[in-house]
Amino acid sequence: MTSPVDLTDPAALQAAFRAQGYVAGDALATALRLVPALQKPLLLEGPAGVGKTEAAKTLAAALGTRLIRLQCYEGLDAQAALYEWNYARQLLYLRSAEISGGRVDDGELYGERFLMARPLLQAIQQDVAPVLLIDEIDRADDAFEAFLLELLAEWQITVPELGTIPARTRPHTILTSNRSRELSDALRRRCLYHWVEYPTARQELEIVQARLPGIDAALARQITDAVHALRQLPLGKPPGVAETLDWAASLLYLHRGHLDADSIEATLGAVLKLREDQLLAAPTLRGVAGRAEAG
Amino acid sequence: MTVELPAELSAQITTFVARLRVRHGFLVGPGEAADALRAAGVVDVLSKRQLRDALRAVLIAQPEQTRIFDHEFNTFFRAEGGLAPPELPPLLPETEAPGAEQETETTPRKQQDGEGQAPAPAPPTPGEEPELTTVKAQPDSESNDDPDDSDGDLQTIQTRLSPNAGTGGEVRSEDGDLRELLRAATALIRAVQLGRSRRLRPMTRGPKLDARRTLRAAARTAGDPALLRWLGRPRRSPRFLLVLDGSRSMGRDAALLLRFAHALSLRTRRVEVYAFSTGLRRLTPYLRQARPGQPLTLPDLGEAWGGGTRIGENLLQLARHERERVNRDTLILILSDGLDTGEPDILERAMRELKARAGRVVWLSPLAALPGYQPVQRAIQAALPYLDALLPAGGMEDLQRLGRRIAQRRE
Repeated sequence: MTSPVDLTDPAALQAAFRAQGYVAGDALATALRLVPALQKPLLLEGPAGVGKTEAAKTLAAALGTRLIRLQCYEGLDAQAALYEWNYARQLLYLRSAEISGGRVDDGELYGERFLMARPLLQAIQQDVAPVLLIDEIDRADDAFEAFLLELLAEWQITVPELGTIPARTRPHTILTSNRSRELSDALRRRCLYHWVEYPTARQELEIVQARLPGIDAALARQITDAVHALRQLPLGKPPGVAETLDWAASLLYLHRGHLDADSIEATLGAVLKLREDQLLAAPTLRGVAGRAEAG
Repeated sequence: MTVELPAELSAQITTFVARLRVRHGFLVGPGEAADALRAAGVVDVLSKRQLRDALRAVLIAQPEQTRIFDHEFNTFFRAEGGLAPPELPPLLPETEAPGAEQETETTPRKQQDGEGQAPAPAPPTPGEEPELTTVKAQPDSESNDDPDDSDGDLQTIQTRLSPNAGTGGEVRSEDGDLRELLRAATALIRAVQLGRSRRLRPMTRGPKLDARRTLRAAARTAGDPALLRWLGRPRRSPRFLLVLDGSRSMGRDAALLLRFAHALSLRTRRVEVYAFSTGLRRLTPYLRQARPGQPLTLPDLGEAWGGGTRIGENLLQLARHERERVNRDTLILILSDGLDTGEPDILERAMRELKARAGRVVWLSPLAALPGYQPVQRAIQAALPYLDALLPAGGMEDLQRLGRRIAQRRE
């Protein structure tokens, strides 16, 4: 494998991730290393905004390979995920053959030049194994999941008119799910599994500092502590790491040096996105502001 | 990339995988064991943490399994530094997680208990249970809820159906009764229409052009798309899963609902019926066998009928072992009075798992039909947060209103 990262060394992968601004825990780093080694897909589950999608993007950057992404949605079918024929061009071809009096060969009409590769077909046709991100698989329906099984087990795609297209290289596949629907056991069995939890306060501080190198250390700590206090509350939509970073970026943009009541009020929309949550969190945030002003 | 593992460690990992499967019901087989060995070859096996992270990524498939896995791993690979002591007895009672123990040993223990608690297969006395009497048969605790075993049971039914058979366990559906039940079944199916699928299917008329098939047709008409083909969104038809409490306290109501299930299975194929008392049993094959208007004959249901109640364990077994039958198109109807002898937290776990998979979960209670009813039974209390509706099931009238009541609860 000719990748810039030595995957047999756990520290090397974590360092490469950190260089991209992604702080990966030990367990996640091990799970990611197993993806190329076992050539199995990895299913990442966890609350929204903990960096599941970002992990796949960072893996692609760390490996120096392409990222091919398939966003799932209900009703996603083979045409959007695998391939589609270019019908307009096929029709034109048929008409021109008719005018010039030539015979239309089925093999030519359904040849590769009329085939439009969608993400999954693209992913298995690369010369260098790409990272294939199948994002939010829980949003697709059971039928799509069942149909994905063939690809994940056999690494080949069958086009009835063309025959079976085997994978040139097996993509490093990452699936993410927010658990809005229970996935089938069959799919789970074909995947490695890792549950991505919210980072600890220390990890989150590292993330903020890695992503926003200019931030004041005291402000970064106040932000991560506040977010951790917020996650203890029974919120409708608890803030993820993405919200923490947004919050920190907003405060940085507004040139706020610490998290006082005024700054919180001005930037609260970056971290709590439901009116009910903002009301519920008001006492906690007053405490946070009090501590920030005192310290 | 992979390194040759010491034979001792390979054997330990294989044993560990088997242990997770047998004790905790993890869905791991030889394929996962092979992957676990390969994964161990990738990481530094002298680091216990790396070995744990690698094996965990391979062997678990649900977040809830993390805790069980970590506990088992720590007890199994106890020695510092990675390699476990040479031999660990496979079953150490004191090393088991209290929560985990209940999960794993549910099935075997239940069978043992069932043998002890199930009513002795004595000849049924007519008149004791006018609605439903069970046939005396060989106690076959092995064949519980095993669909593959239905062949043997079908033979039993056929013998029972012959006029020479002795006392039969029959649930009679009287004339007129069936017609009312069918009407109630139709109303229920109508009420839970699920709308249209998001997925497009070829149809004779539809809102969207099927370019692929149109082009196929155009190739025959010299490239002229004269024949247009269409795609449309088909209706999603609901599935029903009925779980009947067949315990002694439920005899009459369970029999009525069983006949209702029969009527439902005449209206749609997508019906599954289970009965439980101390054990769980799938009844669907027997319903398929029964002819409309004829008495419904069931074999000896053993621990699934006429005993005590273990709602939680049986629903958990249903959620775990029959989970493929439950999806988002499924309406689960649980009939029980909620008078349970088991632990409510097991029931809660079962309800949570069922709710996560099913479209809707409705609990029918004959007690709820009584005036001034309060849902105070322990089982109902535990289940209530996961229910879409708790509805009365006191008799035919309640069944006929079932469809309308469920439709109302949707909003």
